[in-house]
Amino acid sequence: MTRIWPSIPQAMANARRTAHAPLGWDPVNHVLSRLAFGPTVATRHYVSVNGVSAWYRQQVAAGAAYSGYRGSPAVAVCGPLLSKTSVQVVALKNSGAVHEWDSTGQLCRVTLGLQAWSAAQMYETLVDFFSNHLNVTSSHDVWTTRHTYDRDVIRKHAFGSFTEMLLASARHPSMLTYLNLAQSTKQSVNENYGRELLELHTVGMIYSEDDVTNAAKILTGRTIGTDYRYVYDANKHWVGGVSVLGFTHANDTAAGGEAAADALIRYLATHPATAQHLAQKMCLRYVSDNPSAALVSALAQAYLDSGTRIEPMLHTMLRSDEFWQSRGQKVRRPTENLIATIRALGTRPASMDKALRTMEWSARAMGHAPLEWTAPTGYPDVAAAWRSSSTLVTEWTMHIALADSWWDGFARLNKTSLYGRTPHTSGEAITLLTRRLVGMTYSATHNAALQHMLGEPASTPMAKSRLQALIGPMIAVILDSPHHALR
Amino acid sequence: MSRTAPHAPDGLALVRYAAQTESALCAQDEAWAASGWTRRRFLSGLGMAGVAALGSQLVTTRVAYGASTAGTRNTLITVFLRGAADGLRILVPASAALGVDYLHGVRAALVPPSTGLISLPGTGGWALNAAMRPLYDLLWNTGELAFVPAVASPSVSRSHFQSQQMLERGGSAAASTGWLDRVLVELGPGTTFRAVAAGSAAPAALAGNQPALVLDSLAGFTFPGWAGIRPQAEAAIRTLYRGQAGTLGQDVPTTLTALSTAAKARAALGVRNGAVYPGGNFSAALKDVAALLRAEVGLQVATVDVGGWDTHTQEAVNLDAHLTSAAGSLAAFMKDLGPTRRQRVTVLVVTEFGRRVAINGSGGTDHGHGSVAWLLGGGVVGKAVHGSWQQLSDGVLDHGDVPALNSPFDVMGELAQKRLGVGSLATIFPGHSFAALGVARTV
Repeated sequence: MTRIWPSIPQAMANARRTAHAPLGWDPVNHVLSRLAFGPTVATRHYVSVNGVSAWYRQQVAAGAAYSGYRGSPAVAVCGPLLSKTSVQVVALKNSGAVHEWDSTGQLCRVTLGLQAWSAAQMYETLVDFFSNHLNVTSSHDVWTTRHTYDRDVIRKHAFGSFTEMLLASARHPSMLTYLNLAQSTKQSVNENYGRELLELHTVGMIYSEDDVTNAAKILTGRTIGTDYRYVYDANKHWVGGVSVLGFTHANDTAAGGEAAADALIRYLATHPATAQHLAQKMCLRYVSDNPSAALVSALAQAYLDSGTRIEPMLHTMLRSDEFWQSRGQKVRRPTENLIATIRALGTRPASMDKALRTMEWSARAMGHAPLEWTAPTGYPDVAAAWRSSSTLVTEWTMHIALADSWWDGFARLNKTSLYGRTPHTSGEAITLLTRRLVGMTYSATHNAALQHMLGEPASTPMAKSRLQALIGPMIAVILDSPHHALR
Repeated sequence: MSRTAPHAPDGLALVRYAAQTESALCAQDEAWAASGWTRRRFLSGLGMAGVAALGSQLVTTRVAYGASTAGTRNTLITVFLRGAADGLRILVPASAALGVDYLHGVRAALVPPSTGLISLPGTGGWALNAAMRPLYDLLWNTGELAFVPAVASPSVSRSHFQSQQMLERGGSAAASTGWLDRVLVELGPGTTFRAVAAGSAAPAALAGNQPALVLDSLAGFTFPGWAGIRPQAEAAIRTLYRGQAGTLGQDVPTTLTALSTAAKARAALGVRNGAVYPGGNFSAALKDVAALLRAEVGLQVATVDVGGWDTHTQEAVNLDAHLTSAAGSLAAFMKDLGPTRRQRVTVLVVTEFGRRVAINGSGGTDHGHGSVAWLLGGGVVGKAVHGSWQQLSDGVLDHGDVPALNSPFDVMGELAQKRLGVGSLATIFPGHSFAALGVARTV
C-alpha cells in the first residue's frame, strides 16, 4: 500500500530498499533518471552531497529562474527564431533569410539541447510532459505559430497552474489550427478540438457524444485574425444553452461566448476526472507503467487541493514510498536513451549547432523527434508502445557512435578519462567504467559477460589488456545493457 | 525510412577504423597468447554458435509449417488506415438503390462526379474513387479484390484512440493482448520473423507475449562498427539480458537472432515484376514486406500503418491524395509479389471508423461510425462487395453516421480461419458471436 509521507527524506527512509533487477536501490541515480534526463557526474555529486530535498528545491528554483530557453545559453542561441513573433518569422522567410522549416527545426533541436544540457532539468521533464499532453504536432502545418505555442503556453506554465496552461492553449493559433477550432463556426461546427479537449486534455473517456457536440458549440468563435493572432469572432459563435458533464451555461449572447467557453475550460480543468487523468499520466511518466491507484489518487488530490498547480503533484510523488521503490521500472524511450547516453558519457559539443543537428537526426531515425508525434495523444509513455527491434539496434549503434566519436558536432571523447583513475587490471577497468557510466558495479555474471567479450580474464594487466583497443566497444556494450536501458 | 547517417563515418573511415583496431588487436594477441586464450579460437567458436543458431531457426520454421496442424504457408497482412478513413469516398454507394441521392443532399462536395468513379459491375451500383484505379486494374478482374462497407466495431465510441484499441484488441479495449497476438498463440511456434510490424512501434494488435519483430527498415537493420568483435559484442548483450524481466528480456534475444536472418533477407530486396512504387513511408514498408516474403523467412502476420486520414478539413483534396498514394503502393506491392506468390498473401485494409455522412463547414467530415474494409490477394472471394448495406436515409443513419452493419471481427476472423488455419475464434474475439460473411476461401 502506497503511503505519502510528510517529507521526501521520510519517504526515502521508509521505502523498501528495492529495485527492478539488475538495477539496485540507489536514490541518487533514481531521482536523476526520473526528474532529470539522466545523471551526469556533476548532478550525481550534487545530490550525493546535498541530498534529494535540496536538489528538488534547487530544481524548483531553477524552473523559475531558467524558464523559457534560458536553461542553457549555448543551446538557446541555436534557436534565434524562437524568440520571434509569427509576423517576424514570416517576414524573415519572405526575405529569404530563413526557410519555412527553420522555426520547427530550431524548436526540435533546442528542445533536445535543453534536455541534454539545461541546468533546469526537472523543468525540461515537465515541458516534455505537457508538450505531449497538449500535443500540437510540430510540422509544416503550424510553422508560423508552433514556436510561440512552446514558449507562451507550455514553457510559460509548466511550473504554474494547469488551468492557466489549458486556457492559453485554447486561445493559441497553433492549437486552433491543429485541431481545427479556427474553422469551427455556428453554421457548421467542427468537433475535432471539442472532443480532444474532453478526451485527451481533461476528463478522459467519460464523455458522451452529446458532451462533444455541446463543447464544440460553446467553443465556436475562437479563430485566427490578422498577424496570426488569436481572435474571438462573436459573429461565428453559436448561441444557446449548453450542458457538458454537469457544466451548464446559458451562453445566450454572442459577445459573451468567449467567457462562456472559458468557464467550461475552467470547469473541466478542476474536474476530479481531469485530476485523475493527469495524475495517472504523471505517474506513468515518472514512476512506472503500472502505478498504484492509491498513488494516482494522491497526486490527483494534490492537484485539486492546490488549485490545479502542477508542482505539488511532483512533490507528492517524491513523498511516496512507491516512487523510491520504482527504480528500473521504466524503459528509457529512444530519445531518453540518447540524451541519457550523452549525459552519462559527458560528451560535449564541439559545434553546438552541428551537435544538435546530429541529435535531431538520431531522434528522428528512432521515431522519437521531440514534438513530432502526429496524433493529438502525444508520444506514448509505456514500454509496450515502444517495442522495436529496429530501435534497439539503432540505440546500440548510437552508443558506439557516441563512444567512438563518429558523429559530427561532438568533441572527441577522451575514453580513458572515464576510468577516473588508472586501473591496474582489465577487471578493475570494467568496474570503473560501469560505475562511471551507469553508477553501479555489475554482478559477477554480467562482469563475466563483459570479460568474455574482451576474451581475457579480469586479472589481465592493463598493459596487456585488449581494452586498450576495445574500450569504445566496451563502453558501448555497457550502455547497451539493461542497467542503462532502464531508468 | 532511410537510416543513412548524415554524420556517420564514410566507408573509408570505417575501414580505416577497423584496420587500426585490427592491428592493435593482433599486437595484443601476441602479448597475450600465453594466457591460453586465443582470439582465433574465440572467434571461430562464436562463428559455430552463429551457424547453429541459424540452423535451429530453420528447424523451427519446418516445425511451424510441417508439424503444426494449424499452420498454412500463407501470410495475412493488415494495413491500418490511422485517423478514420471516409469509406463513403473510397467505395461510393453510387446508385439510387444504395442511397447516392441522399449523399448528394448532405455531402455534395464530397461525392465524386460519376465521370471520376470506377463502377464495379455486378455489385448493385458500388463504385470506386478514381484513386483506386491501380488496384482495380491489377486485381479486380482476376478476382483478387473485394470490399465490405459499413464496417465498424460494436463500440459506440467516436474516439480515434478508443476505437483503434477496440479493433486491435479484438472487441475488448480492456484485453491485455492484441487479436494478432492471440492468432499467433493459436498457430503455435514459428520463426523469429513470423510476426512483423513495419514501422517504428508495435501496434496494439500485436501486444502480448508472442514475440513480434518491429522493423522500420530492412536495409537499415544492421549492427555496424565493432572492430571485428561483433559476434562477441552480440554474445555479451545476449548474456546481459538473459533472464531479464519485462519486454526487453524478450525483445533483445529476438532482435539478435533476427539480425542474421535479416542479412539473408536483404538479398531479396529490390522491386520485381516491373512494379513501380509511388514512394513514401508506406511504399518503403511494403517493399520490405515483399522482400521478407520472397526470402521465405516464415512470415505469418504483418502489420503496416498509414496515417493521415483524419479529414476534418478539405477532405476531397486530402483524402484523394492519401488514397492515391495508398492504392498505388498496395498495387505496386501486389505486382511486386507476382501472381503466384500473392496467392499465399492476403491483405486486409481497415480503419478505426468512418466519417460523419454530412460534410462540415471546413469541407471535411467529423468522426462517424461505419467505414469500408478492403480485401486483396490470395483466397479472397473477389469481384464482390460483401456484407450488408441499407439504402442511406435519415432513418438508416446512426447519429448521422453510416451504421455498423458488418462486424470487422467477422472479416478478421474469417481470414484467420481460412487463410491462416486458425481453429476456434473464441479466444481471439472473446464474447463475439462469429458469422462468416463469405469473404475468403479455405487454403
